[in-house]
Amino acid sequence: MSDTLQNLDEITAAAITEAGQADSLSALDDLRVKYLGKKGELTTQLKNIGKLDPADRPAFGGMVNQAKKQVADALGAKKEYLELQHLAASLAADAIDVSLPGRGQQVGGLHPVTRTMQRIEDIFTQMGFAVADGPEIEDDFHNFEALNIPDDHPARAMHDTFYLEDGHLLRTHTSPVQVRYMKGQKPPMNIIAPGRVYRCDSDVTHTPMFHQVEGLAVAEDISFADLKGILTYFLRQFFEKDLSVRLRPSYFPFTEPSAEVDISCVFCDGEGCRICKKTGWLEVLGCGMVHPEVFRHVGIDSEKYTGFAFGLGVERLTMLRYGVDDLRLFFENDLAFLRQFQ
Amino acid sequence: MIISEQWLRELINTDLNAQEIADALTLAGLEVDAVESIGTSLEGVVVGEVLSKEKHPDADRLNLTEVTIGGDDNLAIVCGASNVRIGMKVPVATVGSKLPNGLKIKKSKIRGQTSFGMLCSEAELGMADDSAGLLELSDDAPIGESIQEYLNLDDVLIDIDLTPNRGDCLSVTGVARELHVLVDAEYSPVTINQADVVSSEIIKVNVQEFDACPRYLARVVTGVNLDAVTPLWMQERLRRSGLSSISPIVDITNYVMMELGQPMHAFDKAKLDGEIKVRFAKQGEKVALLNDTEVELQNDTLVIADANNPIAIAGVMGGSESAISDSTADIVFEAAHFTKRAVAGTARAYGLHTDSSHRFERGVDPLLPEKAMQRATELCLEICGGQVGEIITQSVEYSEKPSVELRFERVRRLLGMPLERDEVEAMLSRISDNVTATEDGWSVIPPSYRFDIERECDLVEEVARVKGYDNLDDRLPKLIPSGRIPAESQVNKRQLMNTLVALGYQESISYSFIDDQMRSDFAAGEEKTIPLANPLAENMSVMRGSLWPGLVSACQFNLNRQQDRVRLFEVGAVFHDDGEIQETDRIAGIICGPVLPAQVHVKKAKSVDFYDVRADLESIFSLTGKALDFIVEQREHPALHPGQSAAIVRNDSDIGFVGRIHPNLAKKYDLLTETYLFELDMETLRSGFVPAYESVSKFPSVSRDIALLTPSSIAVDDVLQFIRSIDCDDLRDVQLFDVYSGEGIEVNKKSVALKLTFQRIDRTLTDDEIESYTKMVLDELKNQYSIELR
Repeated sequence: MSDTLQNLDEITAAAITEAGQADSLSALDDLRVKYLGKKGELTTQLKNIGKLDPADRPAFGGMVNQAKKQVADALGAKKEYLELQHLAASLAADAIDVSLPGRGQQVGGLHPVTRTMQRIEDIFTQMGFAVADGPEIEDDFHNFEALNIPDDHPARAMHDTFYLEDGHLLRTHTSPVQVRYMKGQKPPMNIIAPGRVYRCDSDVTHTPMFHQVEGLAVAEDISFADLKGILTYFLRQFFEKDLSVRLRPSYFPFTEPSAEVDISCVFCDGEGCRICKKTGWLEVLGCGMVHPEVFRHVGIDSEKYTGFAFGLGVERLTMLRYGVDDLRLFFENDLAFLRQFQ
Repeated sequence: MIISEQWLRELINTDLNAQEIADALTLAGLEVDAVESIGTSLEGVVVGEVLSKEKHPDADRLNLTEVTIGGDDNLAIVCGASNVRIGMKVPVATVGSKLPNGLKIKKSKIRGQTSFGMLCSEAELGMADDSAGLLELSDDAPIGESIQEYLNLDDVLIDIDLTPNRGDCLSVTGVARELHVLVDAEYSPVTINQADVVSSEIIKVNVQEFDACPRYLARVVTGVNLDAVTPLWMQERLRRSGLSSISPIVDITNYVMMELGQPMHAFDKAKLDGEIKVRFAKQGEKVALLNDTEVELQNDTLVIADANNPIAIAGVMGGSESAISDSTADIVFEAAHFTKRAVAGTARAYGLHTDSSHRFERGVDPLLPEKAMQRATELCLEICGGQVGEIITQSVEYSEKPSVELRFERVRRLLGMPLERDEVEAMLSRISDNVTATEDGWSVIPPSYRFDIERECDLVEEVARVKGYDNLDDRLPKLIPSGRIPAESQVNKRQLMNTLVALGYQESISYSFIDDQMRSDFAAGEEKTIPLANPLAENMSVMRGSLWPGLVSACQFNLNRQQDRVRLFEVGAVFHDDGEIQETDRIAGIICGPVLPAQVHVKKAKSVDFYDVRADLESIFSLTGKALDFIVEQREHPALHPGQSAAIVRNDSDIGFVGRIHPNLAKKYDLLTETYLFELDMETLRSGFVPAYESVSKFPSVSRDIALLTPSSIAVDDVLQFIRSIDCDDLRDVQLFDVYSGEGIEVNKKSVALKLTFQRIDRTLTDDEIESYTKMVLDELKNQYSIELR
């Protein structure tokens, strides 16, 4: 039996050495066939079992199986090693330069005026205002008359109105939306009305078309204090700054009392700079308490209800927010400009 | 309006400095635009006297002068002014001084002669834009005194931008009065000395329109000194108020206007025929005006006329015929009250805006003409002499303004803060001398000059203003939300825009008025134009009927600036006139250049084509929840390439167009030939659906690919729609995956390859069922279109 056993040891040793030397999965597979296959060298050792003493047979069988397991383990270990190596090689081969840019479409962007308008809408709707709109081609009644600006009123001269040949006009402010809304609804009401407005004026600081957002709140006890509070809140939210807000008396025929609103300069924090003309203040909007005459025109009882209205210039706020220093850029639609607001 | 601090301080006594005065005015609604110190750079310029003068040996136009400025040594100064003479008192800029125009005075040689300074003109001192010669100072000017002090040049100019309701502040008096109300400073009105009447010369006044002119005063002054000049102090005050000096009489009228706020006029009596009439113009009557234009008058224009002809447009501008000239010896002064309404439209109608019309339009104190006439007479005697005649007045009696009631509760309610009764009353008393306490508040008779106090809310504003807006309370109210939140079925406008943004589009905003030619180039057909009556320019003269012109212009602008790839969209209103003006919102886009931006992974840039823009539209359509509702139907449009244009149809109505720009227009507007446009109606586009759940089948779906031999004339989409309309619940989807014509396919036919997908909700479909469904589809196609399986 010792011959046979020696032979078994030799085969096993050879198989393990060869497994160690195998350098590919196919070589490993060949070794598996050579040693462990049906006609493999270890498998065939069992054929010698008949030559042995019956008493030694079980032990020999055990040893062959032991040898087969040893070889199989060696092959398996090597296989795992080769597979890992193979994976590593293929991962290395698949490596790319991730620093290259992605493929495909580039997103565009909204116009800065739209961006600002949406921000304004978001702040006010969050406070409970609804968004309303109205026509850009208006009539004299809604644009002027109902807003307490009769025909001979000097304020008309400040409005530089574009007229159509049939007497209609391009609205000079978003205030007509107030009138239309109040005619159609009952208080309480809180609305803002963003949109395009027109004035026939064109120079460095004026474009014949621009955007405004009108605001209106009417209820039984809306006061000037509410107006002050809401605008202060809005301006601080909009500029994300705890800025100072100052109201100055002004004049609009459709509000009384009327006010102009200044904020502490967002560029110099009120210290005084070129943009605020050294005053530390920037004028940002006009507002006031709805004039009883306006209420009369829309059929709201001014004894019962009070209200405030305001109008702000979107381009102005956009310029202050983003530091744009030339109004005319807004309507040139230069991609080099527009893309800055993506 | 610019006013001088010096002048203002003659009427108001306050410790506030100029800046503090400006701040107080600004915070009370009289917005100060600028506070500017003047006369600060005249150090070293003093009063001198010319002692001798001789011709410069080497220059005809120059003189050598000897000038004393009070020191031991006289100064040798070379002078080029023609009016220089011995004994003249002049401003002398000494060596080392610096003039407002930046000139530094140094000892210098002028054509070989040394000059130790410079004799100055008004312009050189910064007192005028230009001047003919040296500024001649009066003979009693003290030699050696600084010019700055002598001429009172140390002053601050306060530029106030007044709102139209505060015409009462358009004078030094008005601002002083306002400061009295605001800061409780002591106010002393201008003192006026009445001149004695010494002449019997008068002019008859005949006011025919008392509604428009409730008060008209005329006074004749005869024999004024033709050689009189406007004194320097008056010239200076006018100059600092932004008015130029014209002649003594005209200067006096302007001075009174600036001082008191009453616009005045002076006529040459010799040029007037008989009397003065205040009447409306006769239609077509003409008058030559002071600004050298002649206007044809409308019959609603109030004029001043003599017995025959108009001599001025009332309250706006005088006529040139009757104007004061160098030879005017006899003068008629006019001080009148024209109502706001009488003057309002007039200045605008004739394109005339004058200091006078500016004031009358805003309202001038009806009680002012008397005072102004007395003041002008006083100044006239002082400066020009003359014999004063009686004032002829025609007027209706002034009746006090109606009283305005103010309820205490109303002030508190409108301002939203608890004010004290006494405090309010004290403020009201500074505004009006006529305040009476009533049961629930006060009754106030506004002063004659306050046109802006007519009702209760006006007094509320006065209280707020005097109190100071900064001192009013503020609070953040809880608002009851109003309005309706947009329906869910409405496609959100922002979502639409953001979808295009995600697809690479940049939003643009163009003017709503465009060039008429461009409008018609991009119109869908013959459209009535909507022109502006007063456009700013030809290329902004009609309302747009489409968003395309704006997008085309923007595209062109960018192509001209080295952008080779443009994707723009705009959302906005377009306007049409179909008897009535229609305003509709649209969304439109333009694309040209490569499909994808230049990038390392795309070696060969492919230019956009119809299907790129169509894909973008399909993305938008799918936002409605029913993309298949939108049919892209071959249809021509004048602005589009006839072979590559389509109407977008939804539920049988047209909602827009898409296509390639017509080659002629591409050429005309310098665009790339492969430029694609789309435009859709917002309202119909935005109507969508609230999603409605359908059960999802747990059983497998089965697909069958079929290739159809289809006549070329049949639109593939028609075939797809037809198949979708076949009554077969288990046919879940039809996908087009190939369209082919050419080799192997008959002429006039195309092969259309489709994938039909079947699925049933409650069980797996059998092969037999699928075969029979497929056969049904094929049979229907054969019946409808004679389409065969390939």
